[in-house]
Amino acid sequence: MTQPKYRRSFGDLSERALAFWLLLPAAMLLALVALYPVARLIYTSLFRRRLTDETGLSPVYVGLSNFAQALSDERFWTALWNTLLIVLVTVPGALLVGLLLALLANLPFRVKWPVRLGLLLPWALPLVFAGLIFRWFFDSQYGVVNDILVRLGGERLLWITTPDLLFWAICISIIWKSSSFVALILLAGLQVIPKELYESAAVDGANRWQSFWRITLPLLTPAILVAAIFRTITAFQTFDIPYAMQNGGSAFETLAMYVRTTSIENLNFGYGSALAVLMFLISFAVTLVYLRYVRGAED
Amino acid sequence: MRKMVWLMVALLVMSVGLAQQTRLRVFVGGQQRPDVMRKIFDLYQSRNPGVRVDVEVGGATSDQQQQYLTTVLASRDPSIDVILIDVIRPAQYLASRWADTLDKYLPAASRQSLLQQYLPAYSQANVINGQLVALPGFADAMFLYYRADLLEKYGFKPPTTWDEAIQQAQTILQRENNPNLNGIGFIGAPVEGTVCTFLLPIWAAGGDVTNAQGQFALTVEQAQRALQFWVGLMDQRVSPPNMAEKPQDTIRSEMQAGRWVFGTLFAYAWNRFQNDADSQVKGKIGVVPLPAFPGGRQASCLGGWQWVVSDFSRNKAQAHKLVRFLSSPEVSKILAIEASNLPVFPALYRDPDILRVNPWFAQALPVVQAARARPQHPRYAEISEVIRVTTNQVLARQKTPEQGAREIVSRLQAIYGGR
Repeated sequence: MTQPKYRRSFGDLSERALAFWLLLPAAMLLALVALYPVARLIYTSLFRRRLTDETGLSPVYVGLSNFAQALSDERFWTALWNTLLIVLVTVPGALLVGLLLALLANLPFRVKWPVRLGLLLPWALPLVFAGLIFRWFFDSQYGVVNDILVRLGGERLLWITTPDLLFWAICISIIWKSSSFVALILLAGLQVIPKELYESAAVDGANRWQSFWRITLPLLTPAILVAAIFRTITAFQTFDIPYAMQNGGSAFETLAMYVRTTSIENLNFGYGSALAVLMFLISFAVTLVYLRYVRGAED
Repeated sequence: MRKMVWLMVALLVMSVGLAQQTRLRVFVGGQQRPDVMRKIFDLYQSRNPGVRVDVEVGGATSDQQQQYLTTVLASRDPSIDVILIDVIRPAQYLASRWADTLDKYLPAASRQSLLQQYLPAYSQANVINGQLVALPGFADAMFLYYRADLLEKYGFKPPTTWDEAIQQAQTILQRENNPNLNGIGFIGAPVEGTVCTFLLPIWAAGGDVTNAQGQFALTVEQAQRALQFWVGLMDQRVSPPNMAEKPQDTIRSEMQAGRWVFGTLFAYAWNRFQNDADSQVKGKIGVVPLPAFPGGRQASCLGGWQWVVSDFSRNKAQAHKLVRFLSSPEVSKILAIEASNLPVFPALYRDPDILRVNPWFAQALPVVQAARARPQHPRYAEISEVIRVTTNQVLARQKTPEQGAREIVSRLQAIYGGR
């Protein structure tokens, strides 16, 4: 008796309502794993909560004072500045190296897999492993970098413990690790550029350099933008490589490293959450700026 | 239908059988010899048939272990019952209410007589604000390891002052003329052991981070002299210029490969030098108390590991029983013989079975008894970070000893002032 009625009511669902019910499970899952943690983070950032005193069990509401503290915290500004430096050096660096790698991989080699495998390997390697590997490369006593320097008649440098050298060592490691991801995206972009364009350009007497500037680069721009967005967002979250390279030290500290130390090591969850919210806002703002660009490029 | 009944009966019997067996999960760090711990738990299981003990092995260093445990404990996860923690942590475990304090299982009189059996440093380290937070598993302290073969070759006796150690290292390095040989190894990377490096000269000069009342008492001058001492070793070329890169285990493995004349390391190193398959220095290493500082006393840094019951455990009474076993003389002796862990009971330093395996334990007792404890504070993690990162920067010559000392003192003042 009830069954036909039920079936009819299901069939009566408008397309809009059907879409709602079909999307609900996915939306709920997303809310659970993405929205809830972010909401919880923002909530915690409004409390004084240190696991090292009584506020660990009974947090005290402090309004925005954690944020006020961050703005007058010298270490926060240093970490932010360091993060910006990483973005400014490694994003263009990875784009440039990635573009070269993609162009190389796009050459008509007869056997393509060695180049492609070489492209994929750094990308497939976990970030911490990359950090540890480069830590050994730059080790002052046993590292391959100093070994080469000495053989070339140079001097051993203390890469890991000299701040300026450490910064460049970190940047080189990040560029090595991330340029293969950039190259993969750009390679996909290169392969959809029709070959006829190059052929007709050649017929018109354009040299390789001209066809690169006039055909390859303009047609590759959307792919470059996509790569730049992803790279910038991950560069703002840089943590693994500098952390692993410094053996847990903080001579060069990024925002993500400071968030971790504050919450996980010093157990200051309220302040750590406030720092994480600030980091989230910065990443969010950068993403918005890029999205505007992308939309502009599409129009 | 009859089959169903039998199935139900079988399930019931099985669940009763499972319910009778208590399962305890114990966390130990990767460097705390989980293999030896397993043997000890097997022994406990054979005597307590209703209990099964599982071992969970964590990170190699104290900091790495605590990062994982923080996640477990902050989320009130009941899966771990008993934890082996570093001597620096009881105050924080009490403040965070992660520890099930042991007083309720012990009447005052028996608590007193229990604590009296241990080395005084460990009964002090585990009683915070009058509450018994944990019980000691094994002791540790820093010692001076030296290449007995090299010292003998040049007619030196093991040094008793740092001046002697410096002179001996200079002579040996000069005469050996081996580019792979280094002089005096000390912990300089931004790791926990570097806190000890910083505090050793301060203790030797009679100072400390706090006074007897627990108030902050460190002066810039004391801190500066301590930092200057270690930088001085690099200036005198008895330590290589990259000491800021060296965590403890790097020095241990380099010394094992024959690359150091002296090393200031915790007790675990001895067993590795003697027993590791790749050791180039078997039978060539001697151990003595750390040398005395210029114009000061001899000092060592107290280490050691404690058994604590998690406040989120669902088997607290059983866990407490296990902890009492783990902190007994019997287990202390097993750990001394099988893992070269220093005993927490003074009497065991004269035990012939232990001395047969570790002859140097005979001289170790006064060192452990005189060893000083790092500051006990709920916010020890921050204190440690200030000291180890700044000391590391001074060793890396990013800061002068004076700048480093000022920074350490002002930042520690802020922590002790509750900011």
